[in-house]
Amino acid sequence: MITFLQATFEGLSLGAVYSLVAIGFVLIYKATDVLSFAQPALVVVGAGLISALAVDRGVPFWIAFIVGILLTGIIGLVMERTFLRPMVGEPVFSVAILTIGIDILLRTVLNNWIGLNPRYLGDPFQSFGNFGSVNVGGVTLKYLEIAALFTGVIIIILLSVFFKRSKYGVAMMATSYDQEAALAQGINVGRIFGLVWLISGVLAGFAGFFITGGFNTLTQASFLSALRVLPAVAIGGLDSIPGAVIGSLIIGLTQGYVAYYQLMLEGVIGFSLGSGFSLIAPYLIMFFILIFKPDGLFGTKEVERV
Amino acid sequence: MKNRPNLFTDYRKESSIFPNNTQKFWFAVLILVSCTFPFFLSSYWKLLVTTSLLTAIACWGLNIVSGLAGQINLAHGVFVGIGTYVSAIIGGVATSSVIGYELDMIIWLPLSGLAAAFVGILISPVSARLKGLNLGLVTLALVFIGSHFFSNLKFITGGAGLGRKAASLKFLGQDLEAGLQIGNVLLEKNDIIYYFSLFLCIVMGLGVKNLTRSKIGRAFSAIRDRDIAAEALGINLFKFKMYAFALASFYAGIAGSLLFTIAGGVEPGTFNLLYSIIFIAIVIIGGAGTVLGPLYGAFFFTTLPGIIQAVLHATGLSDTGFFLNAGEIERIVFGFFIIFFLIFEPRGLWGIWFRLRNYFKAWPFSY
Repeated sequence: MITFLQATFEGLSLGAVYSLVAIGFVLIYKATDVLSFAQPALVVVGAGLISALAVDRGVPFWIAFIVGILLTGIIGLVMERTFLRPMVGEPVFSVAILTIGIDILLRTVLNNWIGLNPRYLGDPFQSFGNFGSVNVGGVTLKYLEIAALFTGVIIIILLSVFFKRSKYGVAMMATSYDQEAALAQGINVGRIFGLVWLISGVLAGFAGFFITGGFNTLTQASFLSALRVLPAVAIGGLDSIPGAVIGSLIIGLTQGYVAYYQLMLEGVIGFSLGSGFSLIAPYLIMFFILIFKPDGLFGTKEVERV
Repeated sequence: MKNRPNLFTDYRKESSIFPNNTQKFWFAVLILVSCTFPFFLSSYWKLLVTTSLLTAIACWGLNIVSGLAGQINLAHGVFVGIGTYVSAIIGGVATSSVIGYELDMIIWLPLSGLAAAFVGILISPVSARLKGLNLGLVTLALVFIGSHFFSNLKFITGGAGLGRKAASLKFLGQDLEAGLQIGNVLLEKNDIIYYFSLFLCIVMGLGVKNLTRSKIGRAFSAIRDRDIAAEALGINLFKFKMYAFALASFYAGIAGSLLFTIAGGVEPGTFNLLYSIIFIAIVIIGGAGTVLGPLYGAFFFTTLPGIIQAVLHATGLSDTGFFLNAGEIERIVFGFFIIFFLIFEPRGLWGIWFRLRNYFKAWPFSY
């Protein structure tokens, strides 16, 4: 039972972190029709910026945290302005490949900077309590994971208020429904595109911190954990924000449960699933869900006319 | 009629592989020149050209599924990997850790292609049901599932970080590992691989060209341009998408079976996400949907390291300690090329060639 609670808690907090990036994905896809493969790289860039400021430059952590996240957002904005603006109206596939190109650029520079040794983010979470964790009834709760869970929930609530109440939020929703109609209503669609990328960048920055913070550390492999957001988005449906959150929770929980129960599972089925199976389990789940529901669990089915 | 090469009197002539004599002539010249390469190229460039030829075969495969049939496939590298390992099992040497049967090349070369094609058919229930970005995401999943298998099936691949030896060359009972003596000429192992690659490249290239002229090829383009319209015209989407994936995987398997015999060994970590993306980038840079494009792209990509090295030496950057090393510069240049080709020349190198050719055809007039 304790193992179950432990796995559930870790899965939920992982899911909350994934959902931040996943919401960024969905926002970009809805507003600009771009599936951004560069988003996982942005996640790592966010973590890298925080680490560079807080550890290398000696900036106090909280300032570094805020500046790093804002800078990530600005990088997202610059990406949109420089590379993606000329591609408006091009086939979705071409733009998706273009973001892979951006992803290669960001990752190469970043991997060069990270080097071979893991980098810390300079956050105080690992010094709280017993090595950054607290024991509640046998379940080890990491402060970083608790913080991730709360931040995720708060940001999701703030975003939903933003979309319902604020002028730009409503404009964003209008743009995602119909770009031309929004344009005709006097909405500056170009500015909305920029804003969407800025918000997604900021969300990626937050996720970057929670994925690599504490003892997780930033390595060249951090990118792969950020990439696991893609199955989350695909499960939820590319154009559904609640879907993105639920998909992320499914992925997070899967990863948590498989990590704890793989041995038991192997005992039942009688053969080894191989090391690192919990890392590919999200992809397997995505594979099977997409077989039965090609548009994801919550995605709207596209109506096509010849 | 003879002096009007662009005047076609029937459809068969217009859609022939070489519509005029100039193209026949230059194709023959190209093949003859390619046959003499091993005698004057340095071993480094011979290696690069061989790799280019094999990469071109793999890229043609991706071009069938992505360029002709318009289906995103991010997992092409996995099929190359399947080809590699099938050939390594059948043609490789068994050791204490890995299996191998040391059979003839005539067996493992087609079988590795067929095995990859079989896997392509196996996943087609998924790939044919999906389209667009969702298909891209599923193939992305395939990359990770494939890498997981590659690094965990230790009796086949040797395990992550260790790897195994690739298939050994034995053709019709003749052991080619030590080279081949024909009259006075001694062909080394790499020369033999080069000729095999050249032969396969010509055959497979003509195969793609023929495919574009056939009923299947026309069905592929119909699916790419508008799948619903294609279905309304009576094209069985499931069947033809399956064909596209099977053919693409076959090409990948054939390329993969020979690609690692040059280096002699293969490590399962090779077939990661970047490896698959490279193929997409080559097709994009070369020109998607064309027959010559992937060939240009493959040569461009494979010779890029050589060019970058030369530039680094010429500018002295390699000595002054530039913060990126040669491999990283290569990747950055590669990333920029993907972006710039997509923005400025979506038809790729083939598009540049096409416009140059047309410019000089009509020179000094604009058209």
